[in-house]
Amino acid sequence: MQPDTFVAADTAHYIDQFAQLDKGLPGVDVAWFDDQRKKYLARFSKIGFPTQRDEDWRYTPLRLITSKNFNVVAKPDCNVDLTPFKIPALDSYQIVFVDGHLHQKQSTLDLDKGITVRSLAEVLTNTPDLVEKYFGSVVENDSHGFTALNGALNKDGVVIKIEPGVQIEKPIELIFLSQTEMAISQPRNLIIVGKNSKAQFIDRYISNSTAHTLTNSTTEIIVEQRAEIDYYIIQTQSSSAYQVCGVWVKQAAGSRFSCRTITLGGGLVRNDLRVDLNGPEAHCDMLGVYSLSGKQHVDNHTTMIHQAENCTSNELYKGVLEQRSRAVFHGRIKVAAGAQKTDAQQTNNTLLLSRDAEIDTKPQLEIYADDVKCSHGATIGQLNEDSLFYLRTRGIDEADARTLLTYAFVNEVLNQIDIEPLRDALEKTLSSQLIHET
Amino acid sequence: MLTIKNLHVSVEGKSILNGINLEVGAGEVHAIMGPNGSGKSTLANALAGRDNHEVTSGSVQYRGQNLLEMAPEIRAREGLFLAFQYPVEIPGVTNLYLLKASINAILKHRGEEELDAVTFLKLIKEKAALVEMKQELLYRAVNEGFSGGEKKRNEILQMALLEPYLSVLDETDSGLDIDALKIVAHGINTLRSKDRAMIVVTHYQRLLDYIVPDFVHVLAEGRIIRSGDKSLALELENKGYSWIENAA
Repeated sequence: MQPDTFVAADTAHYIDQFAQLDKGLPGVDVAWFDDQRKKYLARFSKIGFPTQRDEDWRYTPLRLITSKNFNVVAKPDCNVDLTPFKIPALDSYQIVFVDGHLHQKQSTLDLDKGITVRSLAEVLTNTPDLVEKYFGSVVENDSHGFTALNGALNKDGVVIKIEPGVQIEKPIELIFLSQTEMAISQPRNLIIVGKNSKAQFIDRYISNSTAHTLTNSTTEIIVEQRAEIDYYIIQTQSSSAYQVCGVWVKQAAGSRFSCRTITLGGGLVRNDLRVDLNGPEAHCDMLGVYSLSGKQHVDNHTTMIHQAENCTSNELYKGVLEQRSRAVFHGRIKVAAGAQKTDAQQTNNTLLLSRDAEIDTKPQLEIYADDVKCSHGATIGQLNEDSLFYLRTRGIDEADARTLLTYAFVNEVLNQIDIEPLRDALEKTLSSQLIHET
Repeated sequence: MLTIKNLHVSVEGKSILNGINLEVGAGEVHAIMGPNGSGKSTLANALAGRDNHEVTSGSVQYRGQNLLEMAPEIRAREGLFLAFQYPVEIPGVTNLYLLKASINAILKHRGEEELDAVTFLKLIKEKAALVEMKQELLYRAVNEGFSGGEKKRNEILQMALLEPYLSVLDETDSGLDIDALKIVAHGINTLRSKDRAMIVVTHYQRLLDYIVPDFVHVLAEGRIIRSGDKSLALELENKGYSWIENAA
C-alpha cells in the first residue's frame, strides 16, 4: 500500500463529514473558535492519521481505527439506562455524555457557588468570551492527527471553572458513553481550577458491549497556583471500542496534580498525557494501571515537562498482560535549562502472564539543567515461582495464588486511590478479570 | 504419621537425595542434621511438594495417603507445614490477609466453618503474643522489610495458627540470635503434642538444646548415614561432621 494514498483515503471520510456538518457544529458564529476549527481541519487534511513509521506510534497499529469510517452522531439516543455503569456508593456530581453529546437529564450542571459546569456548545452559544483565553492554550497545536481531528470535528464537551479558594467535597464524575454502532465521539473539555482550590475529577469511558465505536477526546486542564487536583481516567470500554485520549495539563507554582490512568478494557486505547510544570514547587503524580487480555492494546504516552525550579514528579505505571494483549509505555521526562532542583522519578513494571503478550517500554529523559535528580526504570517479568510455592504451602490453591500475586502487583497503584467507593469498584473489576483469566 | 521409603530426588537433573528411609510417628520430634549440601533442605522442600524437586523413585506415605500425589496446597490442607529457611517476601499481600486465607483454606478443606473476621483477629493476636511478634507486622506485607528474626517468627506464627500434624522446620535457627532462638523454640515447643510430629532440619546442635528431639539423623550425600537419640547431636557438635562422614 502506498503511504500517501493510505493517508488520503482515510482522512477523506472525516473531511467530508466536516463539510456536511459545518454549519451545525457549535461555535460556528464565534470567529476565533471557527478559525481554530478550520486550522485544525487544515492540519488534519495535511497530516492525516499517524502511521507506525512515526516514532511515537511505532508499536501501535491503527488499522482497527483507520480501516473504518466512523460517523458523527447527529442526535444521540438518550433513553439509556446508566444503572449498570454506576459505581456503587459513589457520591458524585455526574455529567454524562452519550456518543459525544451532553445528556442533559442525567447531568448535574447546577453546582455550588464558585463552581461552573457547562457544556461547551452552550458556552459557545451564550458566553464564548468566558473560554477564549484558555481554549487551545494548553494542548500542543503540533500534536498528531487525532488531536487535529478532535479540534476540527468536536460537537461538545464540558467546561468546568472553579473559582479561587473553593474546595469541592464531592468528586465531579464525567461519564463518556459510546453506544451507537460506528459512532465517533469527540469530547472537547476545558477545566480551570483557580488558586488554592481543591477538586477531584473522575473521567470514565464506557461503552455498549458490542458496538464498534471511536472516542477521541481532548481535555485541557489549567491548574492555578497552589490548587490541588486528583484526576482519574477510568477506561473500561469493551473490546470493540477504540479510544484516543489526550489530556494536557499546565500547572502553576505550588500546585499539585495527581493523575491515575486505569485501563481495564478497550480494544485499542491510546493515552497522551502531558503535564507542564510551569511554576516552582509544583508537584505531579502520574500513576497508571493496565490489565488487558484477548487482543486488547493500550499505549500510554506520557510527557512530563519540568519548566520551573524545585518541582517534583513521580510516575509509576504497572500492568498485567494476558493472552495476546499488548501494551506500550513511552514515558518522556524533559527538564528545561532553568529547572534546577528538579526531582523526577519514573517507573514502568509489567507482568507478562502469557507467551503471546507483549510490552514495549521506552523511557526517555532529556535533561538540560545540571542540578537535578532524575531516575527511570522498567521491569518486565513473570510471577515469581518462589512466591507461588510459598502461598501454596500455606494451603492456597495455584489459581488463587496466581490471582493474588497478580493483584498484589498492581495494588501498589490501586491502594493509592483515596476515593473509597471508586477503589472498591476497581478492585472488584480487576479481581474478577484476573480470576476469569486464570 | 510419615513413612519415607528409598526416596530419590533430583533438582534440575542433579541427583540430591539418594535413597532416604525415615519413619516418623505421631508425637515424635526428629532432627535431621548434616553438612552443607547433604540434601537437608531438598528433603524439606520435596516433602512440601516443590515443583522443581523431581522424585525419581521411592515413596512417601503421610497419614495413610500417598503424599507424592498431592499438590503442595493439598499437602498443606492435610496438615503438613513447611517453615522456610528463607521466607519469601510478598509485596502487596498483607500478612493478615495471607494468614486468614490460609486458615480458611484449611478449615474449608476439612469441612469446617471458616472463621469470621472477629474470631480470626482474636485468634491471631493470641498466636502473635506466643511468638512475641509486634502486631504492626500483621498489617504489613508478608515478610516485606522484616528482619531475619521477624521472618522466622512469622513462620512459627503461621505454624501456630494452622496447627499442622506434621511440621517440617527448615533451618529455622539460621540467622537467629539467642533471644530470638528461645522465642521461636518456645513457639515450637508449645505445639508439641502426642498427635503432632516434627522434623527439625538444622546444621547446628544449638537449636536442639531448646527443642529436644526424640531422634537424630545424620544426612550425608543424600542418605541417612546414622541415626540415634539426642546424644548423637552432641557427639556431632564435639567431633564435627567429618567424624561421621569418615566413619561411614
